[in-house]
Amino acid sequence: MQNRPSGFGNPWLQLALSIACVLVSEFLLKRGATEVAETDSAWSWTGLNGLASPLVWWAILLIIASFISWLYVLRYIPLTIAFPLSRVVDILVPLGCWIFLGELISPLRWCGIALVVTGLALVAKPIAQIEERL
Amino acid sequence: MSFLAFFFIVVSLLTFVVAQLILKRAMEATKTAGFRNAQFLWKVTGGVILMTISFFLTLGLLQRFDLSYLYPFQGLSVLFITLMAAVVLKEKLNARLAIGALLISVGIVLVSMS
Repeated sequence: MQNRPSGFGNPWLQLALSIACVLVSEFLLKRGATEVAETDSAWSWTGLNGLASPLVWWAILLIIASFISWLYVLRYIPLTIAFPLSRVVDILVPLGCWIFLGELISPLRWCGIALVVTGLALVAKPIAQIEERL
Repeated sequence: MSFLAFFFIVVSLLTFVVAQLILKRAMEATKTAGFRNAQFLWKVTGGVILMTISFFLTLGLLQRFDLSYLYPFQGLSVLFITLMAAVVLKEKLNARLAIGALLISVGIVLVSMS
């Protein structure tokens, strides 16, 4: 993790950008895929019919952007740290549904969110210590 | 869930995990030899192809199942990738990282169950 660039080239900033793009793309994909769903056709298992939705294309653009950021992240951060951190998106989706769409979060789901946050803290703590020393 | 759905979920998960490992190797190759080397180009192409397969399979699955239903399988990818990065890429994996990855995985499963 030494000699890494600062500013926009900071790998942690790129990781955050990559996560933000994935988060928005998840919502776009779900909405886009549902819009054009033809579940009775065998071809639809490939997902290719999803391309008929413009939302899916927007999602693809965001996925490409997140992918470029992700490749950059991989250059500097070990996969054992970067990948678990990137899954913060899995709690941001339900939290986003709760905050913006007014969906309810059950107690079990809150427990899951708490576990993910604890896991993220465990993975991120050594990094915070390394950063302080630099 | 039918056998076919299970099959596609497993294939999309495996292609995703292998793609991440290959991409990490590709980016490591750029540290010594820059971006214009055959190692990087082959690996990044392989990684992108696998990610694309995983993406379209997920899109097919999303048409049949809720995003929340497919979450646990995304959760498993955290465990798989962390373990495979330690085994295949020889990255350091201490107890803290392993427990962190496990908690994230279990948490994602719980989030999807409710």
